[in-house]
Amino acid sequence: MRRVTQDVLIGAVFSLLCALLSRALFFSTGAPPAPAAQPKAAEPAWPELAQSATKVASYEIEAKLDTEHHRIAGRETIHFVNRSSAALNELWFHLYLNAFKNDKTLFLRSPFGAGRSGDKAHEYGYVDVKKLTIVAGDGRDLWAERDRHSPDDPEDETDLRVPLPSPLEPGRTLDLELEFEDQLPELVERTGFVDNFHFMGQWFPKLARLLPSGAFAHFAFHAQSEFYADFGDYDVSLDVPRGFRVGATGSRVRESETPDRTRLSYHAENVHDFAWTAWDRFEARSERIAGTQVSVLYPPHQRQNAEAELASVRYALPHFNALYGAYPYPTLTLVHPPEAAANAGGMEYPTLITTGGPWYSTFGGTHVIDVVTTHELGHQWFYGLLASNEHSEPFLDEGFNSYAEAEALESRFGAGSVFGAFGLSVSSTALNRLFSAARGEDEKVNQGAAEFATFRSMGALVYSRTAIVLGTLARVYGSQRVNHALGVYTRKFRFQHPTTADFLGVMQSELDSQAVIALKQALTERGTVDYLVREISNAPISAAAGVFDGPSGREQKKPEAPRPAAEFASRVVVYRHGSLQFPVQIALGFEDGTKQLRHWDGSGFTFNVDNVGPSRLVSVNVDPEQRILLDDDRSNNWLSTGDSSAPLSRERALYAAQLLLGALGP
Amino acid sequence: MNDGTTTRLTWLSSAAAAGMLLWISRTLLGLLVSYPIVLAIRASAMSNGPDGDAVLFQPGSLLLLELLRIGAPWLASALRVALLLALLCAISELVPLALALDLLRLPGRPLLERTRRALRVFPGFLALGAIALLVQAALLLAPSLLSAALKPALSSADERLRSLAPIVLIGLGLFACAGFGALLDIARATLLQREQRELPDRAGRGARAALAHALLCFRRQPFRVLASVYPSIAGGLLGFLCAAWLLLRQDPMMPTARALALAFGAHQLAVLFAIGWRVRWLAAALELSAEND
Repeated sequence: MRRVTQDVLIGAVFSLLCALLSRALFFSTGAPPAPAAQPKAAEPAWPELAQSATKVASYEIEAKLDTEHHRIAGRETIHFVNRSSAALNELWFHLYLNAFKNDKTLFLRSPFGAGRSGDKAHEYGYVDVKKLTIVAGDGRDLWAERDRHSPDDPEDETDLRVPLPSPLEPGRTLDLELEFEDQLPELVERTGFVDNFHFMGQWFPKLARLLPSGAFAHFAFHAQSEFYADFGDYDVSLDVPRGFRVGATGSRVRESETPDRTRLSYHAENVHDFAWTAWDRFEARSERIAGTQVSVLYPPHQRQNAEAELASVRYALPHFNALYGAYPYPTLTLVHPPEAAANAGGMEYPTLITTGGPWYSTFGGTHVIDVVTTHELGHQWFYGLLASNEHSEPFLDEGFNSYAEAEALESRFGAGSVFGAFGLSVSSTALNRLFSAARGEDEKVNQGAAEFATFRSMGALVYSRTAIVLGTLARVYGSQRVNHALGVYTRKFRFQHPTTADFLGVMQSELDSQAVIALKQALTERGTVDYLVREISNAPISAAAGVFDGPSGREQKKPEAPRPAAEFASRVVVYRHGSLQFPVQIALGFEDGTKQLRHWDGSGFTFNVDNVGPSRLVSVNVDPEQRILLDDDRSNNWLSTGDSSAPLSRERALYAAQLLLGALGP
Repeated sequence: MNDGTTTRLTWLSSAAAAGMLLWISRTLLGLLVSYPIVLAIRASAMSNGPDGDAVLFQPGSLLLLELLRIGAPWLASALRVALLLALLCAISELVPLALALDLLRLPGRPLLERTRRALRVFPGFLALGAIALLVQAALLLAPSLLSAALKPALSSADERLRSLAPIVLIGLGLFACAGFGALLDIARATLLQREQRELPDRAGRGARAALAHALLCFRRQPFRVLASVYPSIAGGLLGFLCAAWLLLRQDPMMPTARALALAFGAHQLAVLFAIGWRVRWLAAALELSAEND
């Protein structure tokens, strides 16, 4: 009995120690290291910040949510100003809820589930416009004269043209009134319902963006594409069943209740979309961060995730304010959808972002909550304030934002910005490089979202490769310089709709011409680069032998007797494959332990690194600091005549094998 | 020195010899199992630089992920070969295990005699191993099936319950596997003891009889069986976690030679610690088997 007690006690002590160690190793909440100093907000030569957008389309909407049938009855007034240079004979409306109307729509008909989530609709959704009239007009229903389907696509009703009864001259305003009814789908991508959880994105009839030429930038809703719209002001009244908590774009300005309904009014200025959510199980946290009222709506039992999201905003909001210009809105709402509605997570709308992750997301050393929150917050600049065309130039928002996200996360967490536990750390840059290198040559980065062969391809190129292109520039030309250039771009085009040309124009003025050439090639021409070495050559130097005719006559020199050479001529040829050209460092190692660092500006396709010295060249490492993240293949960047027996890997593999044998065998 | 002390010292030296034997065999077989993986890493050229494979362990894992990208085809093949080798090595390791049990049971016998006995019990050990593999696979499959069956019922439950239920079920499965592992060791001990006693009844020296005897031991003294194996299982886990915790604290910028020495030391101490507690359990298994035989 004494022995049994002793065994139980020993086992219990061991178990207790195991529990403590497991907690330290696996269940760390990922407490970050001391964050790096935040960038300074006031740098010289920043362009002045615009205070307001040029407003083209402003909306007043009244919406009543029926949570039982998942319907919205809506009434909408659009104040439209023709700010183009041409008279308008027509308007283009985006009715993106119709993307979920049936399996033949442009969005849903891909047999491969081309959307971000790859989801198909289970319960379909659509928007019916009941009536469209001109305010103070003759009451004629313009909707009756609309096109019945999207251009060249009889199966799709997400992009419809409405002829105007008379041309709208430049500078003239037009007030339109619509009545509409939404049937929400069961959640597809971001929009719809799951039980009582409702998320409304792209839920109201919305005008396509009016270009300065007088054309509309209109497009049917493609599964790989996001959005593009004009800035304006939004006044939205939401009527929901009592007990439902609501999160929405803008600031809540009024709230009233009846015995069974709640009516909430929201106001948002200088934004280009309005999204909202309603659920009767949301819990809420709110905090003032960097002058902005930040609210988090989260499911029950996810307080830890909500705290992690607030911590991310506490770091990233001032960080982005300093780098890209101050966040101009008074509120920011974070929505953490319930697990069953996970597809609603990870999306951006003006002043509202959705995050996501299961309840245990903060355990185990992963920074998934921080990654999603920081990424979506970054979109408040790269999408929200710089409202580029996400359909035709998606890299301008997703790509730059992926770079901004990686920069902020690495400045906060260091090398373990994506994962850091159990002795292993994975950085955002490493992960972006993995995806970028795997698919970097498949397609070009700068093309329309719908043009990418697959969403995976688009993800690798638009998100990861763009981040790696900017990351390479930052490592080669200095992160401060590149971040400054990006800061100039975000300030100069704040509340505007910048294009690739606008971006390259800023880079032209802020960076070297060689950097801009590389940037253009990498983004628009499928540019690649691979530095490599093939062999190291050493030759002993001895006195020249042979017959020499000199001023004193002919002289014959015999070859020296063999003896250890006093000097060696060493050479290694560094090759550059691909069209991109970056200056690169080359580290040389000699037999006597000395090291040298050489510089190649990257011009030409080969570079001879020659040395004459007392010792043989034994190793070469091209780009030893891994600055050129775009380098296609890192395994050919080095050579060494020394031991390549991989001792650390051998040790780890041996230990893993011993553990495996222990588990499998006796 | 009295007889008790002498017996104790003899047992300790036998236990140390048994432990060393198990460690040496596991290390040699481990080298064999890990060799394809090391070859694949070397083939990727990722360790050909002046810093060798230290670059794979840099913070951020930029080049570790590059190895996974570039070397994926070789690594996948190497992993398959390594798993096959691991299975063969696990079978081979039954011989040193039989020798270790023999050392614990009868100290001071000639090596040749022990080896002959170990080889004689090998088919029985193999049969027991096959039975254990099947039973343990079933014990791990059952929780997975149960989790799948429970999924619809839990669909409206708290999400924490939904995600924890399969983990708890798999934990129970692992616990049952460990329990069956203890039975297996008692059966092995029985097999060896009956071989040593050279029972005339061949059926009595078979794997089925040994397993039946192990079950009898468990029925008679369930608490003692579980209590005796408990430190061995917890000790193995503790050694692993301690090594991980220690290496987590090492300076990532440490020179390769020191990092290698530290990692090797910590890992091998963890393996030795686990083996030490296992030897103690094997001695207890021999005792349990003898007492009930």
